[in-house]
Amino acid sequence: MENLNSNSKNIPKELWTKIDDTEKNKEQISRKSLTYFQDSWRRLKENKMAMIGLSVVIILILIALFGPMFSPYEYSDQNLSYSSLTPRLDIYKVSDDSYIHLANGLRLYRVTESGKIIELLSATEQNLIEKKITYDVKGKTVLLDFENQPFKLLDGNGNEYSYHDRVWNKTYLFGSDDLGRDILVRVIYGARISLLIAFVATVVNFFIGVLYGGIAGYAGGKLDNFMMRIVDIISTVPLMLYVILLMVVLGSGLKPIIIALGSIYWVGMARIVRGQILSLKEQEYVLAAKSIGTRHWRILTRHLLPNAMGPIIVSMTMMIPRAIFVEAFLSFIGLGVSAPKASWGTLANDALGALRSYPHQLFFPALAICVTMFAFNFLGDGLRDALDPRLRK
Amino acid sequence: MNNNKEVLIKVENLKKYFLVKKGFFGKKLTYTKAVDDISFEIKKGETFGLVGESGCGKTTTGRCIVRLYDVTAGNIFFSNQDIGHMKEKRLKPLRKEFQMIFQDPYASLNSRMTVSDIIGEPIDVHQIAKGKERQEMIYELLNKVGLSKDHASRFPHEFSGGQRQRIGIARSLAVRPKFIVCDEPISALDVSIQAQVVNMLEDLQKDMGLTYLFVAHDLSMVKHISDRIGVMYLGKMVEIASSKELYKKPLHPYTQALLSAIPIPNPDITAMRNAEVLEGEVPSPINPPSGCRFRTRCKYAMERCKEEEPKFVDKDNGHLVACHLLE
Repeated sequence: MENLNSNSKNIPKELWTKIDDTEKNKEQISRKSLTYFQDSWRRLKENKMAMIGLSVVIILILIALFGPMFSPYEYSDQNLSYSSLTPRLDIYKVSDDSYIHLANGLRLYRVTESGKIIELLSATEQNLIEKKITYDVKGKTVLLDFENQPFKLLDGNGNEYSYHDRVWNKTYLFGSDDLGRDILVRVIYGARISLLIAFVATVVNFFIGVLYGGIAGYAGGKLDNFMMRIVDIISTVPLMLYVILLMVVLGSGLKPIIIALGSIYWVGMARIVRGQILSLKEQEYVLAAKSIGTRHWRILTRHLLPNAMGPIIVSMTMMIPRAIFVEAFLSFIGLGVSAPKASWGTLANDALGALRSYPHQLFFPALAICVTMFAFNFLGDGLRDALDPRLRK
Repeated sequence: MNNNKEVLIKVENLKKYFLVKKGFFGKKLTYTKAVDDISFEIKKGETFGLVGESGCGKTTTGRCIVRLYDVTAGNIFFSNQDIGHMKEKRLKPLRKEFQMIFQDPYASLNSRMTVSDIIGEPIDVHQIAKGKERQEMIYELLNKVGLSKDHASRFPHEFSGGQRQRIGIARSLAVRPKFIVCDEPISALDVSIQAQVVNMLEDLQKDMGLTYLFVAHDLSMVKHISDRIGVMYLGKMVEIASSKELYKKPLHPYTQALLSAIPIPNPDITAMRNAEVLEGEVPSPINPPSGCRFRTRCKYAMERCKEEEPKFVDKDNGHLVACHLLE
């Protein structure tokens, strides 16, 4: 100390300056106050893929909720004369205001130039020996010659009608299935089922998984051991067998799948949360809460679970697509909803039989499954990065 | 010195063993003897320092006293009530009387709660105040620890280490305790901030008549703040004395070694003095040495130290030491 004092005496007076007022304001924090979730949201917004995923999920929810309102068809409306139409139509010009489209199965449709289907034409004369069918399109004769591939559309004088254009099917945007049902409205309807499954998975994970895991992890010791052995037992139940057995009791449909998912699907979440809580409960802020005399329930809900929220939300966004996929898979192998209801899995299954002729029937439900999977997975990845405080800048 | 003052905390033969499972099916049970049979008293209004190497049981002792741990054996008397084995339900109203300040200001505040929620939690739990009154109390506490009103709505990660530690102190003061265990409250802080926090603790002690148990391993800081100091080694108390006495006349070989290791901010003196450097590591508390626990590193170790555990003897007006050399 004496050394220090003598040193300070050696410094000439001119060199001493008064510190300015900034020193007084040192305690002030200039940065805007952000809550944990505001901060996470800011980081999530920077992640493009995650934002695309999030918007796809939101759009999907909106479409599933409101899409059917704007469709002229119900998911169960059949029109056998309009069956198995493709989403793209090759049209031929007959006259200035009439166009025709030849669909598979020797069906000739009168369509508009823009691709709207007006009617299925009925033959005026059929000559199956010479493989020729005659139609009358608004006073003009159309002769369908199907002797050789490609089939020819001839007028009365034997000249081919000119190929006009390939246009979108305006009547059925995604085409129609083998019973003449609109695939678009059925895919939208399937989205409802998939999102219902997603909702069930979320609720189950959140209320059973998080609480169960939280209690097991917080209690620790024997209770934890006991509770986790129950989880082990439940997780060994094969889902497929379980669904089949439930269907025997409850009949087929969505109910057994929901019950099966609801009673089994939370175990993964319970394990994750338990692990989180086990490590978090050793933190000093938990000790601080204990030394205050805070009740266990309050410690769990106010201190532990909010801090485990990052992994919980991330694994939730990973588990939702898995649940959707499980439902699609079960429906695909015939354990899902029954006709005329449609889920993406049953749509894909129905399309399999006619895959070579009508690939579009498989394409759209498969696309819907893919897009949803990607959207949820990208969102989950982005959330994991955004909620990880170690990545905070 | 303070002999006539009332005893606030009396620890008698406190033991805290942690279960360590060994063997394939957890059949062989072993214990870590974190705190093994220690006794001391803390008088009202004084600061009792607790020093020792890391892993010697200082923190465990502190946590046992505020009943964060269930004690294995022994009694803890707080104002003549035995809180050592009290059930949590009966303990809860008493928890207002003793609080704890934690070591790591980054881990001891819940990062999802605002400062006002953190400080308000003890107020809510003990239903001390509500609504506007509660808010006023929070502002008053913030003011007391040198923070301002507009810090209340902020989150812990926006503060520096020293500020966070002060928030922790405000939280422990919220219930107006009589006794606070300071568990190395400054060791995680920058040196420039340490003095600030220690001075604040001293001021608060004067203002509110607090009693401290100050756990630390920074000996010069302990000397500054404590009235009496206890030195621990491997779960045992080896020496208790008033801080002046301890620094002037350390009796136990371990205390002597510890004191000689205090760095002096002058390279000339450091070069001249020959500091006693303790050789080797602290033995494992699972399997402590027989007899005197310090004997494996003690340069005066005798045959007797191996067989017999030394007892506390009063050398001079409350200067207690446990060593065979001094009996």
